[in-house]
Amino acid sequence: MEDMKKQKRWLQAVIFAAVVVLGGYTIVEGFRSPTKTPEVGDQAPDFALSAVDGRIYELSGLRGKVVLVNFWGSWCEPCKREMPAIESQYRKWKPSGFEVLAVNIGESAVTVKGFMEQYGLTFPALYDPNESVRKKYGVVVYPTSFFIDARGVIRFKQEGEMNEPMIERIVVSLLS
Amino acid sequence: MLIENTKCECGHQNPPGTALCEACGKPTGEADGNEPLPMRYEGAARRSQKAQKNAADRIWSFFSSVRTAVVLLLLTLLGAAVGSVFPQENTILNADAIDLAEYYRRQYGMVGYYYYRLGLSRTYDSWWFRGLLVLLGTSLVVCSLDRVLPLYRALSRQKVRKHPTFLSQQRISFRAQVEVGGQAGSADLLDRLAERLRRRGYRIRKDGDALLAEKGRFSRWGPYINHVGLLIVLLAVLARSIPGWSMDQYLAFPEGETLPIPETPYYLKNERFTVEYYREDELPETLRQKGAVVPKEYRTEAVLYECTANCDDPMKPPVLREVVRHDILVNKPLRYRDLLVYQFDFAETPQIVKVRPTLRNAVTGETIGKLELRTKQPETEYRVGAYKLELVRYFPDFSLDAEGRPTTRSPVPRAPAYVFRITGPNLPADGVSHLYLVRPADKETYREADLNRAAGSPFSLSVESMQEDLEFSLYTSYLNVRKEKALPFVLAGAAVFIIGVCIGLYWQHRRVWVQVENGELLLGAHTNKNWFGFRLEVARVLREAGFPTDPRAIDKGGKRSWT
Repeated sequence: MEDMKKQKRWLQAVIFAAVVVLGGYTIVEGFRSPTKTPEVGDQAPDFALSAVDGRIYELSGLRGKVVLVNFWGSWCEPCKREMPAIESQYRKWKPSGFEVLAVNIGESAVTVKGFMEQYGLTFPALYDPNESVRKKYGVVVYPTSFFIDARGVIRFKQEGEMNEPMIERIVVSLLS
Repeated sequence: MLIENTKCECGHQNPPGTALCEACGKPTGEADGNEPLPMRYEGAARRSQKAQKNAADRIWSFFSSVRTAVVLLLLTLLGAAVGSVFPQENTILNADAIDLAEYYRRQYGMVGYYYYRLGLSRTYDSWWFRGLLVLLGTSLVVCSLDRVLPLYRALSRQKVRKHPTFLSQQRISFRAQVEVGGQAGSADLLDRLAERLRRRGYRIRKDGDALLAEKGRFSRWGPYINHVGLLIVLLAVLARSIPGWSMDQYLAFPEGETLPIPETPYYLKNERFTVEYYREDELPETLRQKGAVVPKEYRTEAVLYECTANCDDPMKPPVLREVVRHDILVNKPLRYRDLLVYQFDFAETPQIVKVRPTLRNAVTGETIGKLELRTKQPETEYRVGAYKLELVRYFPDFSLDAEGRPTTRSPVPRAPAYVFRITGPNLPADGVSHLYLVRPADKETYREADLNRAAGSPFSLSVESMQEDLEFSLYTSYLNVRKEKALPFVLAGAAVFIIGVCIGLYWQHRRVWVQVENGELLLGAHTNKNWFGFRLEVARVLREAGFPTDPRAIDKGGKRSWT
């Protein structure tokens, strides 16, 4: 009788342990929804892409700086209109720790390079040929800009064209 | 402290909660002469029925209760119903490329918008729905174990000789005087009954003047087998959330391009896409009158590659190895390992893929050579004859913007324009600029020849033959790339379920106990299903052994007796 009790207890324990493990795993998986796009307050997803200047840029390598990740295409009119503003702010605040990573959506290297030269832009332009980073950031509108603080957290997301005063206000507030 | 006395008069010590003595079957409680014995689970003690001492016991009995199971099923039903009100996110193609909140608002109004915001558009992946399935699975396991273990033990250990009240209080029972013939007489009767029963497939066990005939015990396990099947299906469904076990992507493959399949190490190339339409005479009258254009067959000649090196390197191109070739038709997917690629849709997207212009000296007309230009990711350096051409600007869809600067209207190569810097013999040290517009209409519109002359270029670049020097892609093929590793397990679980249902439904567990003692024949019989058929069988056996009786006479009728 005692033996039977011990067996039963052991069986109970095994079943409950299995339920907790399986259940816990399944439920937690439900939280980690794959189509969740990064929002303000989330950690910015890391990525590594090659740029026009031939180097590879990693977002996590810029930890400690304020980073603007801008998604653009050369055919997109609002993107072109905001580029001079971004360039101007980049030159002004780079010495204080401001960086820009302009992620281009799937255009050919010569197009991207030509565009940067044509408009006299000096910040790094990155190639995203498979659109994998675009998908990671859930970008559906061009241009889309993410302002990321020194700890790697997204502090501001802008869908659409920006102007210089707006960029300056955000950069200054994040740099302080 | 009151300790319940659970020792039977036959001497056996029963665990608390036992309804019928494990050894002799005598009821432990008050014997109500008219109600048949409580035979469920052989009257054995179930873990959940005994007095609950600690938290573990209470949790166990919560999950083993049928009421809990019914409530869980109802909640799961409600949850699933909610998820069926509007199409879920996973039915929307390329959901990661569109603004979903806007999509739901546009398609279904404000109700749709809030449906999305509450997360109901992802019902079946939500934590609460998955949690319900886990609870359901737990209930399934605990319910089954709580009942099957005591049942198995009781059925394996059952004794042939039972207490007389056990026989007389069965729902089917029969009592009769036996002709005087002494020991031989009663033994003969027992043998006769045994023989009649054996003929009907019963297994006979004897213990002196007692007999137990049993058949169809295996059908008792039917419900537990079908629950195992359900558990397999449930686990398989939950397993789909393991990374790599399920995938459902819709991807576009323009002709001639090799593109990566995200989340896999594979690349796929659409070598050629062909569509065949029904001829007029193949269409039914109604469609012909409408002038409908109906595709008859479309196929993608596809090649699947596996990336073997540089797969995540942003600097270097990936090294690809061809693994399989297949013509993908509707419902005839490409299969490789557990990857399935189905033909889903197509679109007419005429594009220039490659162009092979001839380089000439514009003044002398002398032909210098040919070069091949791609319209997607073109090379940056070309050598033709003695000259080197460096591509410095490229516009897939050339136009001039509001300020008159060269720009591209879109990333689609509809009107490609290439700007070269050409260096070589008889040219300035830093070369000359040359603009090449592919479409003859563009050459006219933008006065290409004049521009080049002004820039100092002595060359002309143009295509000689529209047929041979231009390569088009006409179609984009939409393919559905899927993985469903859990499917074989779901099917296996479903098969086990059906088998369990058949075993439990089409066979019955029948037992007949007989005792011949002191000139009296006492018979008791029990089945788990189909009392109507069973009492007929028992009555026939009695008749054949010399005790004709009406089937209804031997049946007391169950609690809810209508058979």
